Parts: sequence; structure tokens; C-alpha cells
Amino acid sequence: MNFFFEVLIGGLLSGVMYALVALGFVLIYKASGVFNFAQGAMVFFAALTFVSIMELGVPFWPAFALALASMVVLAVVTERVVLRPLVNQPQITLFMATIGLGFLIEGLAQGMWGAAVHGLEIGIVDEPIAWTMDNWGIGVSTFDLFAAGVSAVLVTVLAVFFNKTRVGRALRAVADDHQAALAIGIPLQSIWRIVWAVAGFVALVAGVMWGARNGVQFALTFVALKALPVLIIGGFESVAGAIVGGLIIGASEKIGEVYVGPLVGGGIEGWFAYMVALLFLLVRPEGLFGEKHIDRV
Amino acid sequence: MSEKSISECVVFHDEIVTMEVDFTDLTLSDSSTVDAFYDEIDRRLAASGRRWYFLVNYKGCVITPEAWPRFAERGKNTNIIHGLGTVRVGASSSTRDAIRSHSERAMFRSNIYDSRDQAMLALGELRKRHREAEGAAEGSFLRVENVGLHFGGVKAISGVSFEIRRGEISSIIGPNGAGKSSMLNVINGVYHPQEGTVTFLGKQRRRMHPHEAAAQGIARTFQNIALFKGMSVLDNLMTGRNLKMKCNFLQQALYWGPAQREELEHRAKIEEVIDYLEIEHIRKTPVGRLPYGLQKRVELGRALAAEPTLLLLDEPMAGMNVEEKQDMSRFILDVNDQFGTTILLIEHDMGVVMDISDFVVVLDHGQKIAEGTPDEVRSDPVVIRAYLGTAH
Amino acid sequence: MLYREAGQFKASYKADQQIFPIRQDRIAIGLILAFFYLVVPFIADQYWLQAIIIPVLIFSLAAIGLNILTGYAGQLSLGSAAFMAVGAFGAYNFMLRVPGMPILAAFVLGGLCAAAVGILFGLPSLRIKGFYLAVATLAAQFFIVWALTKFGWFSNNSSSGVITAQKVEILGYTFASPRSKYLITLVVVTLLALAAKNMARSTVGRAWMAVRDMDVAAEVIGIRLMRTKLMAFAMSSFYCGVAGALYAYTYLGTVEPEGFNLDLSFRILFMIIIGGVGTVLGSFLGAAFIVLLPIGLDNLLPVLFGNVLPTGITSNLQLIVFGGLIIFFLIVEPHGLARLWQIGKEKLRLWPFPH
Repeated sequence: MNFFFEVLIGGLLSGVMYALVALGFVLIYKASGVFNFAQGAMVFFAALTFVSIMELGVPFWPAFALALASMVVLAVVTERVVLRPLVNQPQITLFMATIGLGFLIEGLAQGMWGAAVHGLEIGIVDEPIAWTMDNWGIGVSTFDLFAAGVSAVLVTVLAVFFNKTRVGRALRAVADDHQAALAIGIPLQSIWRIVWAVAGFVALVAGVMWGARNGVQFALTFVALKALPVLIIGGFESVAGAIVGGLIIGASEKIGEVYVGPLVGGGIEGWFAYMVALLFLLVRPEGLFGEKHIDRV
Repeated sequence: MSEKSISECVVFHDEIVTMEVDFTDLTLSDSSTVDAFYDEIDRRLAASGRRWYFLVNYKGCVITPEAWPRFAERGKNTNIIHGLGTVRVGASSSTRDAIRSHSERAMFRSNIYDSRDQAMLALGELRKRHREAEGAAEGSFLRVENVGLHFGGVKAISGVSFEIRRGEISSIIGPNGAGKSSMLNVINGVYHPQEGTVTFLGKQRRRMHPHEAAAQGIARTFQNIALFKGMSVLDNLMTGRNLKMKCNFLQQALYWGPAQREELEHRAKIEEVIDYLEIEHIRKTPVGRLPYGLQKRVELGRALAAEPTLLLLDEPMAGMNVEEKQDMSRFILDVNDQFGTTILLIEHDMGVVMDISDFVVVLDHGQKIAEGTPDEVRSDPVVIRAYLGTAH
Repeated sequence: MLYREAGQFKASYKADQQIFPIRQDRIAIGLILAFFYLVVPFIADQYWLQAIIIPVLIFSLAAIGLNILTGYAGQLSLGSAAFMAVGAFGAYNFMLRVPGMPILAAFVLGGLCAAAVGILFGLPSLRIKGFYLAVATLAAQFFIVWALTKFGWFSNNSSSGVITAQKVEILGYTFASPRSKYLITLVVVTLLALAAKNMARSTVGRAWMAVRDMDVAAEVIGIRLMRTKLMAFAMSSFYCGVAGALYAYTYLGTVEPEGFNLDLSFRILFMIIIGGVGTVLGSFLGAAFIVLLPIGLDNLLPVLFGNVLPTGITSNLQLIVFGGLIIFFLIVEPHGLARLWQIGKEKLRLWPFPH
């Protein structure tokens, strides 16, 4: 039984990491209706920029600030060059554009910093905590716990940002109704710039966490794919959904890996989360926090 | 024109209740000849003591421009008083144009055929439809019983019952949020009521899919036009006939033999609808590019293409100007008249509703507050209060 | 003055309902077909046939498949490559396990396998729409590739699932040369493209488009959503499946499941976006563009920068140019190359009088 809990806790904690990436999707979708497939590329770009600057001898926080600045620049350029010309186009067109943007960002990142794999040390070891091991017989990774803490802080910051600040409330107004937001004088363009910059910030945090765990490499772009089933469960528009969805996916994936994987010969991590999400849909087609939608005709 | 020639050119086919008028090689040059002709015809029709279908042969017939207004006027009166329906044959293109420009009702514009056989066939169809309409008139057509519908905690309709008779034009009226659209959605299966039943053509049901309703012969239009924006007018109308097309996808992929034949048959049917609604010029235009009024008309056409038994119209005249409203009223009356289609409509414009309806149901706050003929409803104090109270 | 509809009156609905109602279009299509059937086999060299024309044809077919699902029926899918894989491995196994299996029948059966799998993965479309569905189709992408790699049976127990296509033989004639492989590909693609165009203008195509444009209204006029959507999934997967079989048999010869990865799915998606969503013609234009683009860049970059660029930079530059071009295209002409073609025709119709 202890083993099961160990797996479950490990899964929940790694689910937090998925939630971190899913948050980036949710932010942008909520504010602009864009399914940003470049989110994975942004994670990669942010992490690679950060680690490369650190390797130049810059300390952690200045490097973090510089990487963040680069994400803001990226957001501003994206809004100007990609989003603004495509405003009012169908969602699928914008989605396609973000796939193109993803290629562009990947190429840009590797073109600037090279394609080598970088290790990233942030001073947290990936070892079981002795205390839980001694008292409960359950191994919980320090790193996972740390990642969960970071995510919790991040979500709190975002929640405060969205609920308590003027810009945040404006963002929510845009999400609810573009026309209304325009009518009360909220400039859509600056809203988009801000939300992409915030998503860039989230990508940076996610990139640093994932990079610290798996190394900063091209494979980071695939982390985004891991986060997509989270969106099916939690919904594209719910921050809370992203968190809870992430936990569900993380936990079921770990449990699947340990208990189902051996039955079919392993290697199931590529699709298991998707299957879980699909099964979940059969039970709750409207998603975790979605309301039952009524078509008005 | 002498009396003798009139008796020569009119033949009564009693067995099919049809009066055949043969104008072949006649010339109607002024109002007085027209009057003489129609006086005689009307006298005979009146003497028969019943109504008739008319089959008119215009072959080689000349009607001068001076005679036309009178001719059209008298023809219309005769139709209204003694007619069950008219088909025409052998009209030259100039006669055709004259008929079209003088016919106020679309049904008379479109009933022009190339040969007598075709006209007879059309007449047969018309009689069949009327017979069916009469035959089934005894049983109940559409009965809504004690229907209650709510979304979560919000009650949209509670305990509403009414009955619609076949062949009539009925309306549901009421202030905004009275539950009118929801009622239509219940009738054709878009919403499933939590309480009560809907009985259509003897089949009672509580949960049914919209496509089952469609298969039973219910078609409808929507308040906010629900056309297929990416498709042409023609394709939109053709979707209305989807239920009647039987070829499978393999035959369609080959587009050979049966599939092509079927496609062409239905295309011909669609062209009748196009002709009827006077939208020939926009056949191939994507509907997204059309102005609002025309879109409304195309949507009506799509519903008509399905040759429905019951036609539901959700605010067919919303957002139209007076002229467009008149056109639409005319189309609705025509459809009811010519095809015997039963119509249930929702409309805000009280004037229009009272003019064209046989029966009116009034809803307010999801409940039925009155029903009856337009006159009864108009003078009902409860209705007046509901309308004055909400400043309509 | 050459391209005119004027004077071409349609005397019957039959004439008006033709596949190409304008005479000049019919002539153009005839000429293009004649060119590809009669001229190309004799003038194109091995490189052109094998590296460019055959893949363009095969990808056109896959793009038509995705267009049926996404362009006509409006269901966004990110798993086309996986259905190609099912077609390829399906055909391979029929050839392997059924003695005397005719190759064309194996292609069709491979396509049918893909269609069956397509229906299975299309089931979520009954409950979810849009991007939710798109993400759900990723499940097909990852699961199918995993299953084909994992279970040796599919690849006759070869390592990492690699299969080598059997000989393509019809009535004793072996299609071994690039020219003969090109011709058999061309025949299959022509026939299926024609069938797609016919379906698009028939009941089934209209039902797809109706569901795409407004599903509630479609259901109200009697279109069964479930049947229509699953039909689109099945048909789309069939086309992708046959394309996959051709991919293995007439293009690469040796394929592995990993070759049908998400990247390939994306490329097919780009083809229909750049070519034009909801058009058969666009599928061809888009496929040609996406196949030719990297080849063009390969040839162009050394000319622009000399041979000094390290390969790493070149591949990144390719990524950047590719991504940039996609964005550029979407901004300049969101309706794709087929739309540009349409506009060109309209201009031509007016030429030389601009008004």
C-alpha cells in the first residue's frame, strides 16, 4: 500500500509540472481565444535562453530577469507580426499560425544558442525526503515538492493578478467579450501583448523546472504535448481546471506506468494521458469545470 | 368573343374537378372582351355550386397590354371565389412575363408548365396534397400537452398545452423571454422537455432527436438565420432534400447512373423552390454574401425544399422593413395555400400575426395565458395586460 | 478574352451540374491530365519522379483525406499520419498473410483498415468539438504509432517495426522502375481525387459541409450528426490509409511507424491550410508547395550564403523560413493557394477590360 501512495504522490507532484505548462495555454486561450501551439516552443526558448545566459557567468536572478525580458520582447513581436494581422480570422487560422510560430521560435532558439543539451542546476536535489521515508515509509522527491511549491506560488500570483489588478480585470473582460472590452476602451492589442508576456513568464518558470529535471534540450518542446490532455479534462479556459486536470493526469499517468505499463510492454507514457482524458470525457463531456452548454437557436 | 366560342373553349372534367380553359389562338384585346369572357365563366362556375381546379392553355393566345390589367384582376377574383388551384400551359415567353408581373402571389407565377401532360401531373400532385390534408384533418395533428422545460433552475416553459390543426397557420406570440423559441425547440426535438408530451401525427414522444422530427415532416427556420454560410444558395436548398435522397456514398463517389439521376431530379425540385421564392439570380452565390432579407428567404426555401407537413418559423420577419415583411407574409400564405402546409410561427409584429393567422397562442413567462382566433385574442383582457405591462 | 463563361449557356441541369461547368476549365483539366499521363513519364528523370512528383501525388491524396475531415466536415484532426501508417501496415499485412493478394486490393483493404480505426477515434467527435477534438485526435497519433512499434505482429517481428514493401505486381508485370511506380500512383490518385470531388458535390458532401457550418441546423433538416461525422472520419482515414500504402509501396519502399509521426501530421495539415481548406485542387497545390519548399530551400540557401553555413544553422534556418512562410501565407491569403487561383481566374475573366 505504501508503494501505491508513493506512486500516487509522485504522480500528483509531477502533475503539478503538467499544470504549469497547461497554464500557459489557458492564459492565452482565455484572453484571446487562440490555441497557442507554440507554447512548447516558448518553454524551450525560455529555458534555453535562461541556461545559456547563466552559462555566460550571469547569476541566477539577473539571468532570470534577462530571459524574462526576452520573453516579453517575443510577446510584443508576436502580437505585432502574427496576431495583429490575423485579428478576426477564424480560430483555426490562428491556431495554424501558432504552429508556424512554434517552428520559428524553435529555429530561433537553436540558431542563437545552439542545439546542445544543457544541464541546469538550481540547487534542489532530486532525492527522496528522509523524513517522510523514515516516518511513513513513503519516498517523496524534494524536487517534486519544490516544483509543487513553485507552482502554488505562481498560481497564487496569477490569481491575484487577475482578480486584484486593473490590468488583470481588463484581461478577464476581454476573455468574456471582445466587443464589450473594446467598447469600454480597453485596447485589445496591449491586452494581447500583456497576456502573451505573462504566458512567456509562465513558460520560463515551466522551462526552468522541466529543464532542471530533464536537462534543457529540444525535447522540452514535447512537454507541451503532455500538457494537452490536461486541457481536455480541465478545459481551455479554466485556471483551476488546469491545476486539477494536471493532478489527475499526473497521478493516473504514474499509476498507469507502474500498473498498466508492464502488461503491454511499457512505453505507454506517450499516449496514456490522452486515453485517460478521452475516458474522462465519456463521463463528463463538458469537462471538469465547464458548464453544460446549451445551444441557443 | 361570342358566347358560343366560350362554351367551346371551356371543358369541365368532373372526375378530376378540373375546368380546362383553352385560350388557343384567341385574342383578348380590350377590357370588355375580358369582362364578357369572365362574366360567362363566373356564371357557370357559380352555377356548378362547387370549387374547381383550373387548367389554362395559352397556346397561341394573344392578350394585349391594354387588356392585361383587367385580365389579371378578373382572373384573381375568379381564383379566389371559385378556384382550388391553377396550372398553366403553353404560355409564350411574353405571356409568361406578363403573368409573372401581374401575379401578386408567387404560387401563380410558378405554375407554368411546358406541356399539358406536365400540367396534368402537377395538378394531380396538388389534388393529392389537398386530399391528404383533408383526410387527416379528423385526427389530431400536433398536440402539445402539459409541457414543462427548465435549464438548471431556470424555468423556460411550464405546463403549456395547445393543439394545432392541420392546414392552418398558427402563431405563438408573447413578450421577450415568454418561452416562444423554446416551445419551437421542444416541438422539433432540439430541447427535451422534462415534463409533458408532444404528439405529432399520432406519435407521442418525450425525447426525440431533431433529425427524427425532420423525418416525420417537420421543417423549420431560425430566429438568427442558421444557413450554412460556406455553401451556395443552391447547395443550402439541396441540403433540405437530403432526407429524400437515397443513393449511398459509393454511388455518389462515382456520380454515375442513379446518383446523377437522383441529383438532377432533386435539382429540378429545387429550381421550383428557387422560382417560387424569386431567388434565381443568386442561385450560385455563397449565402454568407447575401443581404439579411435574402438570407431569410433562402432559409425559408431550405425548409420548403424538404416539403414539410409542418413548418415552424421562428420570427420570419424579424429585422425586416415593411416591404420585406409584406413579401414574407405573402410567401407564408402561399405556402399554406398551395401546398396545404401547416405553419406554426413565432412573430413579434402583432399586426402581421393577426393578419395571417388562423389561430393564436399567447405565452407569457413560460405559461399559456390565452389562445383562440386573432379576434378573440386581441380582445382578451389578460393579453392586453401582458402586452401593455411589458410595453410592447 | 480567352477565359469566358459568357455565351456558355446551360440548357439543362445536367450541364449545369457538371464537375467542371466552365468549358475552359474542362480543357485545362484535360490538358493537365494529358501532360501528367503522356508527357511527364517521358521527360521526368528518376530524381524528379522519385523525390518530387511521386511524394507530391501521395501527399495530395493524404491532404484530400484531411480536407474531407477538416475542410468539408469541419472536424480538426492532428492524426492524419497515423492513419497513413495504418494503411501502410494494413496493406503490408494483407500482402504478407494472404497468398495471391492483388496489390490494388491490398491498397483498398489497407485503406479500409484505416477507415475502421478512423471511426473508432472519431467517436469522441460526437461529444466534443473544435480544439478539444483536435487534442483528442492526438491520442490516435501517439497510440497508433506506439502500437505498431510495440506489437511485432504488425511488422512481422522486425526490429523497431520496420517493414519493407513487397513487390508491386499486377497481372505478372512488376512495377519496379520509378516511371511505372509513378504511373500506378497517378492512376490511384486521379481516381480517388475524382471520387472526392464527386462526393463533395453530392448529398454526402453537402451533409459534411452542413455539419461544419451549423450543426444544429443540419440536424434540424434531418442530417444525422453521428453518421455524418463518423462517415467523414471513415472516408478521411480511408484516403489517408491508401496514401500511406502508396507511401510505403511506391515511394519509400521501407517504412517504420516512427516515420508517421506528429511532424508528418502537421505537414499534411499545412498542406491543406496553404493549399486551401475545403478544396480538392488546394490539396494538390498545398502538397506540391510543402514538398517543394524544403527542397527549394536546400538549393537556395547555399546560393545565397555560399557553402560556409554549418549544417546545424541550415536546418534551423529552414525551420525559421518554414514557420515564417506559414505565418506569411496565413496573413496574406488565409484561404490558401486555391483561393489565389480563383482570384486569378476571376481577373482573367475580366481581362482585358478591368471593369
